[in-house]
Amino acid sequence: MAKKTYDLLFKLLLIGDSGVGKTCVLFRFSDDAFNTTFISTIGIDFKIKTVELQGKKIKLQIWDTAGQERFHTITTSYYRGAMGIMLVYDITNGKSFENISKWLRNIDEHANEDVERMLLGNKCDMDDKRVVPKGKGEQIAREHGIRFFETSAKANINIEKAFLTLAEDILRKTPVKEPNSENVDISSGGGVTGWKSKCC
Amino acid sequence: MEEPPVREEEEEEGDGNDLGPEGALGKSPSQLTTEDVYDISYVMGRELMALGSDPRVTQLQFKIVRVLEMLETLVSEGSLEAEELRLERDSLRKEVQALRNRGPVATSEVSLGSNKMVVDLTDPNRPRFTLQELRDVLQERNKLKAQLLVAQEELQCYKSGLIPPRETPGGRREKDTLVTRTSNASSNKEEKTIIKKLFFFRSGKQT
Repeated sequence: MAKKTYDLLFKLLLIGDSGVGKTCVLFRFSDDAFNTTFISTIGIDFKIKTVELQGKKIKLQIWDTAGQERFHTITTSYYRGAMGIMLVYDITNGKSFENISKWLRNIDEHANEDVERMLLGNKCDMDDKRVVPKGKGEQIAREHGIRFFETSAKANINIEKAFLTLAEDILRKTPVKEPNSENVDISSGGGVTGWKSKCC
Repeated sequence: MEEPPVREEEEEEGDGNDLGPEGALGKSPSQLTTEDVYDISYVMGRELMALGSDPRVTQLQFKIVRVLEMLETLVSEGSLEAEELRLERDSLRKEVQALRNRGPVATSEVSLGSNKMVVDLTDPNRPRFTLQELRDVLQERNKLKAQLLVAQEELQCYKSGLIPPRETPGGRREKDTLVTRTSNASSNKEEKTIIKKLFFFRSGKQT
């Protein structure tokens, strides 16, 4: 009997500098579409997408934040409720990569301790304008013990994979039947590597 | 520079200085120099001499000398003051010009301090709302959006026949506790629904 339309609700958050493509990444995932016109996100927005993982219907509520500094006091208040955070930079924008450490610090300050983090280097279709080598992204992700993907919302590269991987990582930490309770079994921090055996 | 009344005299007598000592008498008082005062005393002295050595003339001479001394003092002080004022005026002019050249933003910074912002009240796109107001609006927008999505989903369930028609509370509900209970009994719910709606708040409190 179909009582509920989903089994679990995961709240995800997209952060990163203005213009790196957070909204486009989300739009590609939720609507499988891409828009070239740049409209700066005002404060905070969200989209919903339900996916099926390991036989469970998982509703993803994905919060899209404004990258602009002037909205930061609004956006940081949304870190707390997030179970997974995607930190996006633009491979054609060196500054957006340099700011990763700043964003990671924001996560440390405002998010739950056991939040799943993931690093995305977006716009990987624009290889001719690339200024951040893939290796640098991989390196910084390794240093912080988080997953890394190079994505392209425009060319639809790794977008779904990134979201599903993040959702799987959260699912692995989630005790069954208690979708919203905090995880007590798993030590915070390097959860990803600790659970790799179950993955793949 | 209140010249007009004196001008005629000046013109009658010709070109001031060229007329020698006599010309000083035709000058505007504001333009008088100490040299002019000396010229005047020379002229007057000469005329007094011509009057002879009458004791009354001598008496008058003392007084005239005294008046001329006073005039000399006034003229020299006045010209000094005028020079000082002229210098001050010139430096102020320069300062004003420099400030104007720096542009309106720079001048406002000077008067307000670096942590203030100037708003152009004629700009229709000027900032008007506080961060808190924006936060509230966004929160409401996102809440309504969430409710709409839930409602749409629910509607879809009804349309596809997943859920038999039943009463649903009309008010707000947790967006992630969608359709948790379904009364299996089918229909005849129309009246019940209305009553339930009427007592929604009470029943909501109990659960």
